[in-house]
Amino acid sequence: MEYGGKGFVVSGIVVAVLIVFPLTLGTEHTLNLFVMLFITIILAHGWNMLGGYGGQISLGNAAFFGVGLLSFHFLAWNAGLPVYIALPASGVSGVVLASFIGIPALRLKGIYFAIGTLALAEALRITYGNLFPATLYIPTVQITTYTLLSRYYMGLATAVFIQGAAYCIIKSKIGLAMKAIRDDDEAADTLGVNLFKYKFLALVFNSFCCGLAGGIYAYYQTSIYLTVPFSPQWTFEPLVAAAVGGAGTLLGPVIGSVFLIILTETFALYLGKGYLIIFGALFIFVVLFFPGGLVGTWPRVGMFLGFRRRATKD
Amino acid sequence: MAQIIAYGIITGAFYGLAAIGLSLVFGVMRHLNIAHGSLLMVGGFTAYWAFNLLHLDPFLSIPLVMAILFLLGAALYKGLFSHLDKLPEGQKIDNSMLVGFGLIWIMDNLATMLWTSDVRAITPSYTGKVWHVFPGVRLPLVGLAIVALAVLVIFSLHFLLTRTYFGKAVRATAQDREAANLMGINVERTYLMFFALSAALAGIAGVVSAVNYSVYPTVGFEWLLKAIIVLVLAGVGRIGRVFGAGLLLGLAEGISVYFVGPAYREVVGLVMFILVLLRRST
Repeated sequence: MEYGGKGFVVSGIVVAVLIVFPLTLGTEHTLNLFVMLFITIILAHGWNMLGGYGGQISLGNAAFFGVGLLSFHFLAWNAGLPVYIALPASGVSGVVLASFIGIPALRLKGIYFAIGTLALAEALRITYGNLFPATLYIPTVQITTYTLLSRYYMGLATAVFIQGAAYCIIKSKIGLAMKAIRDDDEAADTLGVNLFKYKFLALVFNSFCCGLAGGIYAYYQTSIYLTVPFSPQWTFEPLVAAAVGGAGTLLGPVIGSVFLIILTETFALYLGKGYLIIFGALFIFVVLFFPGGLVGTWPRVGMFLGFRRRATKD
Repeated sequence: MAQIIAYGIITGAFYGLAAIGLSLVFGVMRHLNIAHGSLLMVGGFTAYWAFNLLHLDPFLSIPLVMAILFLLGAALYKGLFSHLDKLPEGQKIDNSMLVGFGLIWIMDNLATMLWTSDVRAITPSYTGKVWHVFPGVRLPLVGLAIVALAVLVIFSLHFLLTRTYFGKAVRATAQDREAANLMGINVERTYLMFFALSAALAGIAGVVSAVNYSVYPTVGFEWLLKAIIVLVLAGVGRIGRVFGAGLLLGLAEGISVYFVGPAYREVVGLVMFILVLLRRST
């Protein structure tokens, strides 16, 4: 299931189709769906790098997402910086925020990082609600020139970039070190792997992804209600996507995100908020019984049915 | 200032109640059940409906709430968390957090569907009544009841854990699961009862939340934040320290609200949290 020569060809074809798609078949509704899909993929890749490969569970990605969103909003719309500067800046703002909790927490073992990120996100959410009780709008000048296509291509380009970056990291020594730490941190430490350095690198990747996703969301939405920036949904949905797709694989976040968006589309129409309950139940089910997710489980099913010779897990 | 301290103590007693179940389960079973706040929310709603439909006084409805939450906790443990017990410790903690996160999602959204996201509170006849201890210090009666409740919970738990067979079994299991099992302690049953007990404790905190503050579907997530900070401040294991840490957080928040304003209340806890991390990591 992992990237080889064939994988590159398939990915190339998928990307080419996605580039041509809006010019030919795309309707406004499907384009909106795809923008949300790209945002989910970027977030899921971030979580997967940190949680799936690095073994550090983040329960507060909403904090990095929110700060990226606000940075983009104020840099691009209020300060008037060009989008290609504001977007990386929103990624960097996520990294800066993550350092506050990451530098002390990643040096410690155990739960501190997970609950620290959770506390960070929750404290920011409540404080933001106290301080800015208003909806953010993009300036009217921007509304007149708003095109969905530019949002679509920005999301696509960023998602492809993140997918590529994740591939390069995982295939490099850094990825190897991260996997070693996840599987047995004491053994890795003994062999001279700098635990803190690699955990922190994974956190940088994660928070950069979250900040970028926040930036794209700010670019995409014309109005942002005050509960949106730090909503726990930005932590939970990518987590579900990564876990359901297959945590600790390169394709998992993509497959999980596609699955999630399809599920949302199918259920949100006639179940209202009920689809969120289905997400929660599905997520718990996967965590308890199918830790490999779709990517990890499918080869086993295939093997059981006699299609594939051997399951490989990256 | 005396007034701030008085309110700080009342808030702190509540934080202790909200954190105690979370802390006990984490200390003994190594499950970090972050859905603890959502259990608290269910407790709050149970007391709310008991008050509005059965006209039951909230403090008298505590046994009922505890019984319901006890059953819910037992069901959650049996259905979900018990599957994680075989895992090594690190993975067990990680996965219990993930399961808890999923549970928060399910319970909070289910509560929103069932009861809408309106903010509700229980207002019995004595709400707002105060006791003037001496000029300048007013103690709300509800607040006094909360402090009394916290003291009662501390002593009952202490008695339960040190003077009964169940408590002995719990302490033995916490020290060494395998050895306790070999000594003839039914570890599974002990875990089940203990997890259910922690849910019942969340129920008590839920009743307090509904009487003294309010209850709404996502209230659990906000109280969870306090419970987590208390957990980290207190370290693992001691009942008294959990309440001590609760008081510390309550007082720090009260004082900061007085000097900086209520908007930054949550930041206080966060800063305390990061300071503890910095101190431990050097």
